Amino acid sequence: MMTNTPMFWRIIRRLLTANYGRLFVILLALGAGAAVTSALLNLQIDAKKRITGEFRSLGANVVIAPIVYPIERTGGPTLFESLLAELPSQYESHSVPAVAFLYVIGEVAKSGATQFAPAVIAGTKGQGLTEIRPGRRTQYLASLENDPDACEVGAKAAAQFKVQVGDTLQLKNQGREATCKIFAVVGTGGAEDAQIFTTLKTAQALADLPDRISLIQLSVTGTPASVQSFIVSLGKQFPQAEVHGIKQFTEAEGHIYDRISSILTATVFLVLVLTSLCVMAGMSNVAVERKNDVGLMKAIGGSVQKVVHLFLTEAVLLGVAGGVVGSALGLLVSIWLGKAVFGVAAEPRLIVYPVSVALTIITSIASAFPLRRLASVRPASVFRGEE
Amino acid sequence: MFLRLVADSFTRRPRRKILSMAALAMGMAVATAALSVSLDVGDRLAHEFRSLGANLLVTPEADSLPLEIGGVDYRPVNAGAYLPETDLGKLKTIFWRFNIIGFAPILQSPAQLLTAQVMEHPASSDYTDIQLIGTWSDHTVPIPDGTTYMTGIGKTNPWWTVDGRWFHEGQNECVVGTALAKRKGLHTGDKVFLSVEDLSTKVQRFVPHVITGVLSTGSSEEDAVVVSLADAQNLARLPQVYRRLYVSALTKPEDAFGRKDPKTMTPAEFDKWYCSPYISSIALQISQELKGTDVRVIRRVAEGEGNVLRRVRTLLWLVTFVALLAAALAVGASAAASVIERRSEIGLMKALGANSGLVGVILAAEQLLLAFVGGGIGYAVGILLARVLGERIFGFTPEPKLFVLFVILVLAALITLLGSAYPLRRASRYDPAPILRGE
Repeated sequence: MMTNTPMFWRIIRRLLTANYGRLFVILLALGAGAAVTSALLNLQIDAKKRITGEFRSLGANVVIAPIVYPIERTGGPTLFESLLAELPSQYESHSVPAVAFLYVIGEVAKSGATQFAPAVIAGTKGQGLTEIRPGRRTQYLASLENDPDACEVGAKAAAQFKVQVGDTLQLKNQGREATCKIFAVVGTGGAEDAQIFTTLKTAQALADLPDRISLIQLSVTGTPASVQSFIVSLGKQFPQAEVHGIKQFTEAEGHIYDRISSILTATVFLVLVLTSLCVMAGMSNVAVERKNDVGLMKAIGGSVQKVVHLFLTEAVLLGVAGGVVGSALGLLVSIWLGKAVFGVAAEPRLIVYPVSVALTIITSIASAFPLRRLASVRPASVFRGEE
Repeated sequence: MFLRLVADSFTRRPRRKILSMAALAMGMAVATAALSVSLDVGDRLAHEFRSLGANLLVTPEADSLPLEIGGVDYRPVNAGAYLPETDLGKLKTIFWRFNIIGFAPILQSPAQLLTAQVMEHPASSDYTDIQLIGTWSDHTVPIPDGTTYMTGIGKTNPWWTVDGRWFHEGQNECVVGTALAKRKGLHTGDKVFLSVEDLSTKVQRFVPHVITGVLSTGSSEEDAVVVSLADAQNLARLPQVYRRLYVSALTKPEDAFGRKDPKTMTPAEFDKWYCSPYISSIALQISQELKGTDVRVIRRVAEGEGNVLRRVRTLLWLVTFVALLAAALAVGASAAASVIERRSEIGLMKALGANSGLVGVILAAEQLLLAFVGGGIGYAVGILLARVLGERIFGFTPEPKLFVLFVILVLAALITLLGSAYPLRRASRYDPAPILRGE
């Protein structure tokens, strides 16, 4: 064996280059398998993360409220506004939109009108009101948005007070008064449709509750388990408040996430198994054609062990070549797939690459499996052209 | 002779054909399983999304502005408008009636609660202010077409869980929220007395109710008492009415067309829109049946659902597509290999006088036969796999669709023909003499 090493490699080279058509076919099959393996593995990891991001279009999923839920009409328990600044702005490298609300039931009228009607005025402060409270803005005036007296009006309230963007509303509560300019009308389908969203300052002045808020809503991105641990850690950080998930959304999200992730895993697993079986069957087809080569090798004195050794080395080389090229292509494809599905390029995860190359080599070796049958090939009958 | 040649190539060298066929069958099984799952998964996931609860809210059109904070309406009972309960059966008569999978009316009112211990001689501090919620737990609704429909709050608010059981209608039973139960030390089986004050006469009439369970919802209902709609109507002296109706409907995610304003549509477009289960068209149909209502889409639920569904659907279609592509490449490669290996046979045929066209046709016929048999086997395997997948994940069996079989067979034929086209073309140009000499 020692002295035969150069010969061994020479034979390998010949085996590979003797028929370019065959080489191309094998590499194509292996490369396609490797590409689909790495693309799907990468996409699967990425998609599970992204889906949790998509859930955030459901809006807030965590609430920080006073320990006793405010059930009385006025003078209900409140929290300190300073709480908002103490919240983490990021969790697991996703930003955490958080908005503080102070609710006041006040009297409202269009400016100039004398007929006041009761309405809920919600003072808001914080980042990401639109993420916290998903809805559709039917009217919007960007130029007014940064006005210190700007307010947003729910669709139902806008219809009730017959106002539209650009109009001014008068607000009052127990003798205290304020005005605000409407920069948007929003429809959410929920209680928010009947509310008027002002700055927190305005609501605090109306309620005569400086530095107080009713509650904070957060929209936390993550798997159900990581959202739960966020809630627990926040609860420890703020013992004076009650932190809880909004059951409607946390429960449904958990439920749906489990389903989607099991569909993805199952589909990807199935596709991978079948693809490698498919590649294997195709490659074995090629391997069986090697009878003549085996016959010749045995006729000039090659041992069965050596012949199998030769073919296995060839399979590993092919697997490495197909795997290295195919997996790289697959990663590129998955970046594009991520973009097509989520609008954001999928992050290539490096762990996928060696896994996919290794799988390809294994597939390639497994495809050489039928060659073991060639051990029983009798050179004489091969040369006589018998089947 | 032609048929004999084709048949012979199968019977003479079965092992080689079996391998080609196995490759094809596996490839087609990938395609079938992936296709079947992608075809069904959208509908199935839409069902899963109903665990988010109602996506439509119906309120009286001529209502005063609700003063709702944290799920509690602070309007006095006599303010605002109500809707007739008797109309509700009409919900199941709209065009998309089968897409409505549940609805529940709500009548909410401030009320007072007395525990059994203090009922005899209550001090003024014993009166507890609570929110009284009247709704259906398991209610049979008569439908105008003569049938009945069973629905309740569990369908529209599936995250409401009761430790114990829901109340039965007409038996003076109730369910109390966990927060309230904890505060007042109430347990399942206890008796409480409920009353809604008559604002004009200031009369309180307490009615006993037995607690059948403790409710957790994660929001303000945990501080409320939930009774049957009929009980709430009696207590509040508001017969046969409700204030809010939650509807949970299976919908198609809104696309650009679904978002168009129906008022700007042409009649043909409007018909198409009306006959698609978009949330907005279902909302319109409900408001046409229930007069005097304002039907609003609960945006966060509807839009969140639409977004996630769209993504998952695209994702699965892409996975299917990639899987198909890989299967096609592998199968095509195997088809090409089987042609390359048959040079000597081709040489012999040509030496015996077959022209290039005939050789091509014979080999193509072989490949096609292979494609149909392999494709058929692959379809069967794929359907079996899709069934296992479906049962594992959703607990249902996807229907085998003939349409998929058709697609698979066409695909198999296309792939094998494409895979062998190039080697076939080369083969038909072979010069027989050197091949037969073994060069």
